Amino acid sequence: MKQAPTLSAAFLHPAGSSLPEPLLALRKERGTALVDMPLPTRKTENWKYSSKYLKLSDEMAISLPAQGKTGSSLAVPGYKVVFRNGIMIPEASDYPDLDGIMISRFGDLSDATAADLAAKLDGTLNRNTVQLAGLNSARFEDGLLISLSPNAVMDQPLFIIHEVDADASGSAFPRVFVEAARHSQFTLVEEYISAGSEPVMVNTVTEFVLADSAQVTSIRLNTEGENVQHIGATGVRQQRNSRFASHCVGFGGPLRRHDLQVRLEGEGAECKLNGVVVTQGKQHYDNHTTIEHVAAHCNSEETYRNIAADQSHAVFNGRIHIHQDAQKSNANMNNKNLLLSTGAEIDTKPELEIYADDVKCAHGATIGQLDEASLFYLVSRGISRRQANVLLTMAFINELVQQIPVEAVRDTATKRLNQFFDSTFEEA
Amino acid sequence: MLSIKDLHASIEGKEILKGINLEIRAGEVHAIMGPNGSGKSTLSQVLAGNEAFAVTSGEVTLNGENLLELETEERAREGIFLAFQYPVEIPGVSNLQFLRTSVNAMRTHRGEKEMNAAEFMKLAKEVSRQVDLDPAFLKRGVNEGFSGGEKKRNELMQALLLQPKLAILDETDSGLDIDALKVVADGVNALRAEDRAIMMVTHYQRLLNHIVPDYVHVLAGGRIIKSGGRELALELEEKGYGWLGIKEDAAEAAN
Ligand SMILES: Nc1ncnc2c1ncn2[C@@H]1O[C@H](COP(=O)(O)OP(=O)(O)O)[C@@H](O)[C@H]1O
Ligand SMILES: [Mg+2]
Repeated sequence: MKQAPTLSAAFLHPAGSSLPEPLLALRKERGTALVDMPLPTRKTENWKYSSKYLKLSDEMAISLPAQGKTGSSLAVPGYKVVFRNGIMIPEASDYPDLDGIMISRFGDLSDATAADLAAKLDGTLNRNTVQLAGLNSARFEDGLLISLSPNAVMDQPLFIIHEVDADASGSAFPRVFVEAARHSQFTLVEEYISAGSEPVMVNTVTEFVLADSAQVTSIRLNTEGENVQHIGATGVRQQRNSRFASHCVGFGGPLRRHDLQVRLEGEGAECKLNGVVVTQGKQHYDNHTTIEHVAAHCNSEETYRNIAADQSHAVFNGRIHIHQDAQKSNANMNNKNLLLSTGAEIDTKPELEIYADDVKCAHGATIGQLDEASLFYLVSRGISRRQANVLLTMAFINELVQQIPVEAVRDTATKRLNQFFDSTFEEA
Repeated sequence: MLSIKDLHASIEGKEILKGINLEIRAGEVHAIMGPNGSGKSTLSQVLAGNEAFAVTSGEVTLNGENLLELETEERAREGIFLAFQYPVEIPGVSNLQFLRTSVNAMRTHRGEKEMNAAEFMKLAKEVSRQVDLDPAFLKRGVNEGFSGGEKKRNELMQALLLQPKLAILDETDSGLDIDALKVVADGVNALRAEDRAIMMVTHYQRLLNHIVPDYVHVLAGGRIIKSGGRELALELEEKGYGWLGIKEDAAEAAN
């Protein structure tokens, strides 16, 4: 039998860094655990449809330096933190000192705080299922810790602009950790963008820990370029009566992978996960979500939409796991997919594991094309075919776009969608 | 205005229209009657350009121009309007957005300035009242959750907004109660104009109590088997289709 390829040792050498000692120790430990890690193949269940897009050359093992300049496409209406190649750039960041809210780069943490953080990092994720994103813990060079005290309310969204500069081949490992104490409220916008054209990997992990009655909204927008392989994971743990809302909008690339894992651990916790994915050309996008109902009386609501044009390929895998004690769970998962070309491919797989007997759990997945009767109706009113296509495609996702609670993100997403329409639907 | 000569059309290899001949001049109202399945909707859809139907022979001209060579949207911009017998529901596209896009497509075609949202809103509210449709319907998805009658009024509203040269109304009167029928009839009468023709497809004669057609045609088995003035409708009302040697739904059996 042929030996499965393993992660090249080159990827396990972290760059020198000014991180506090406890974080350096954590990196080392995580790196050791990844030695000889098999790379995903077609036979790896959770990479079945995507392993063929993964192309890690040894040149990409190098850590990209914190230099260059890209500039966000978002006109940031809130507080801003800029990460360039995984390293925070204080000169480009802009946020005030806020009562009860600590925002600090990892490099500035005291050893005591860093030790506390090191004990928590990766705690929201099932490391067996986010193998490659696990590389982030062995390689991060900086990161952002956001810690909200009880009752602290952030009055504006915080934007983290994750820029990658691809003037040379290499990788970036942005890392974010959010702790929301009881009754705190916070909205985080993470935008992933890129400049340059050399092949690079962005390997990123963001974690949210919500205490009782905390309310956190996470918005994630990916508009990276055609040279960026993106492997990201978001982990969430929720205590009693906490609320977590996620809005992910992603445009395709050579490899786009996002794992979103939510654990509802306290009674009355609720999460709402929305996702929109748009792919074209030969692009790829793979969303893997897991919602674990651990405690009783929790609600989850998940809505994902994929649109695939040309020869592109979108994947959705949504797993809901209702533990034995999670009685009166309410779980709703819905995934609709739109194929805009016969050459496009969409793979969708809902996975339900239910071990409690008194639960309400609904799921649905569909794959379809634009409706001919609707198109005819629109063009019979003098509307051009192109515009009819745009109206119907937009109708497919508009509800989710409108639910994004930050206007600047809606605008950027809409602008990008219009570019997509321009290149997908030809002028009559 | 509209001239149809020996039009044959089929769907999935099955011939539905078997040689239609019809001349409609500006200012006229033509009623097309006939039993279920006789091809009335097929004729309407073919004129609007539905490619699901294949035109196998014959010709259709609109003011001398070959209609069959035009795309659906071009026909609409040249002034063809079809009120659908079964309007589709399009969730996610608001009625207002749809109507404004349509009106502006027509305006752009005529070299006129597009209407902005506020201007259009004012116009749309007026016209929706004309067909007794609550302006709240403008905010809903296109036909989404509309009752049968509301859909018909929404169709008529579009005709009033777009002011076509030829309005084809495919059973815009069916499924309406007496009051709604009156509203629709008033709307159709408001459409009547010297420079506009109306082709009214109806299964029943009751609409014709409110709208007096200039001509009545009976379509059966894919052919117009009889044409006459308004008195033909009354005769049909009195004697039924049996008088013409056809039974209700006989056309379908004949296929
Ligand atoms: N989409 C279609 N597919 C197959 N047959 C159709 C389709 N549309 C109409 N037909 C057939 O064409 C014939 C005429 O239908 P139609 O034009 O709807 O009649 P009418 O409007 O006069 O009731 C009927 O036999 C009907 O079954
Ligand atoms: Mg019909």
